[in-house]
Amino acid sequence: MHDKSVRRRRAVLALLVVLSLLLLTAYFGESSEGGLHSVQQGFLTVVTPIENGASKALKPVRNLLNWFSETLHAKSQRDALLSQTERLRHQLVNNEAEKRGYKELLALFHLDQLGVSDYRPVTADVIVKTPNIWYQTVSIDAGSSSGIQVNDPVINGEGLVGKVQTVASDGAIVELITNPSMGVSARVGTSNATGVVQPKVGEPASLILQYLPAGAQANQGEYVVTSGTVAPPDYSLYPAGLIIGQVTATGEEGGYPVVDVHPTVNLHALDTVQVLTAPPGSRPAQLGRLLQSLPANGHSAGPEQLASTGGG
Amino acid sequence: MRQGSSDLSLALRIAALTVIFVLLQISVVSGVSVFGVSADITPLLVAFVGLSCGSVTGAVTGFAVGLALDLSLVQTLGLTSLLYTLIGYWAGRVREVRDPQAALAPLLVGTAAAAISLFGYAVMEFLLGVDAPVSLDLLRQILIGVALDAILALPVWFVVRRTLEGALPDDPRRRRRRRAYTTGGLSPLSKP
Repeated sequence: MHDKSVRRRRAVLALLVVLSLLLLTAYFGESSEGGLHSVQQGFLTVVTPIENGASKALKPVRNLLNWFSETLHAKSQRDALLSQTERLRHQLVNNEAEKRGYKELLALFHLDQLGVSDYRPVTADVIVKTPNIWYQTVSIDAGSSSGIQVNDPVINGEGLVGKVQTVASDGAIVELITNPSMGVSARVGTSNATGVVQPKVGEPASLILQYLPAGAQANQGEYVVTSGTVAPPDYSLYPAGLIIGQVTATGEEGGYPVVDVHPTVNLHALDTVQVLTAPPGSRPAQLGRLLQSLPANGHSAGPEQLASTGGG
Repeated sequence: MRQGSSDLSLALRIAALTVIFVLLQISVVSGVSVFGVSADITPLLVAFVGLSCGSVTGAVTGFAVGLALDLSLVQTLGLTSLLYTLIGYWAGRVREVRDPQAALAPLLVGTAAAAISLFGYAVMEFLLGVDAPVSLDLLRQILIGVALDAILALPVWFVVRRTLEGALPDDPRRRRRRRAYTTGGLSPLSKP
C-alpha cells in the first residue's frame, strides 16, 4: 500500500516535470506564429477583459499600498528634483536660442525627422505588470481594435516607455526599455553621434548607451534621446527626440565611449501610456513597410543603416 | 462517496484560490514596488497548498499556477510550471516527512519557496541564454523579493489555511491529537 502511494507520487511528479520540459522545448523551438504562441495569444484575448476589470476594481488598494511605498522615497526625490530644476532653468535659456537656429537649418536642408505628430497616439491604461525581474513587460487595455500593431512605440509624459510586443484584440503586451531584448538607437543631447541604448547587463533597472563613435562626448546629467533611426537588435522605428534617460556615468571600452543611462520614465509606476500607432498611408507606416521589406541580414549593418530621413 | 465529495470540495477551493491569487498578483501586488521590487504571492500559494494537502496536490497546483502565469503574462511557456511543480512537491514532502507543528513553520516554508522561485528563475534564465549574469544589483533585487515574500508569508498562510479548512483529507494536527488520545494517559477524560 505504502509502495503504491510512493510510486503514484513519483509518477505524478515525473509526469508534470516532463510536461513542463516538453512545453519549454516546444515553445523555444517554434516561431512566434507557432501553435503555443497562438494559444498564448488566444488566452491573452480571453483574460484581458477579466484582468482589466480586476485591475480597475483593485486600483484603490494598489494606490494605497503605493502611497506608503512612494512616501518612503519622497524626501530624497524632492532634493534631487530641486537641484535638477535649478540646472534645467539655466539650460532652458541657452537651449531656446539654439533651438531657433536649429529649426531653421533643419527646414533649409529638409532634414526634419519623424515627429510624434506623424503618429496617431492611442491612450491606454496599464492593467498588468509582470511580477518578476526577468520579464520587463506590462499589459495595456487597448489592442488591435484601436489600431495598435506589433512594434508600435509606447511613451508617456516622461519619455520612451518601450514598444508593443504582442497584440490581442482588446489588449497588448508592452516590452519596456529595460527588457533584455530591447535596443533603441539614440544620441546624447544635441550631439550627432548615434549609439544604441540597451539594458545594462546584470542591472535590470539601468540602461547603457554603447556603439558610439570613438571620441564622442557625454556629460553627466545630459539627456539621452531617440535618434530616429533603426538599430539592431530592435527594429522598430521610434520618432526622433523622445527622452530615454539621463547620463549617470561615462567610461570607455576598447577605446569606444560607454555611457550609463538612468531611465527618466518611472517604470515601476506606469498607469497610463500612449501607443504611437501609424495610420495606413502615413509616413511611419510607409517606413514600417520599407523596414519589413529589407533583407534580414541587412539589419546587422549598423545602427544608422536606415535613417528615418531616408524613408520620406 | 463522502471521500469523493471531500476531494471535489478541496479541488474547487484550490482552483478558486489559484484564480484569485493569480489575478491579485498581476493586478495589485506586482503594481506595488518596494525599493524597486515587487512581492510575488504565487509561490507562497503553491507552497502552502503543498504544506496543507501533500506533495501530489502541491505539485499539481504548482503546475497549474505556473501555467496560468506563463499564459497570462506571455512568458516562456513551461518555465514557471516547472519551478512551481518542484516547489509544491517539496512543500508537500515537508508535510509528509516532517509534519511541522511550529507556528513559524509556514514562515520558513514560504521564505524557502520564494528563494527557490527567484534563484531557480535566475538559474533557468541563465541556462536559456538570457544575457543577465549575476551582479550585486540582481542579487539585491532577489534578496529584497525574498524578504517581501517572507513578510507576506504568514498572512497568505492564514488565508490558504482558512480556505482549505474542512476539506483537507487528513489534517496532521487532528491526526496528532487522535494519536495522543489513543495512546492513553493524555486524554482529559483520564484525569482524576
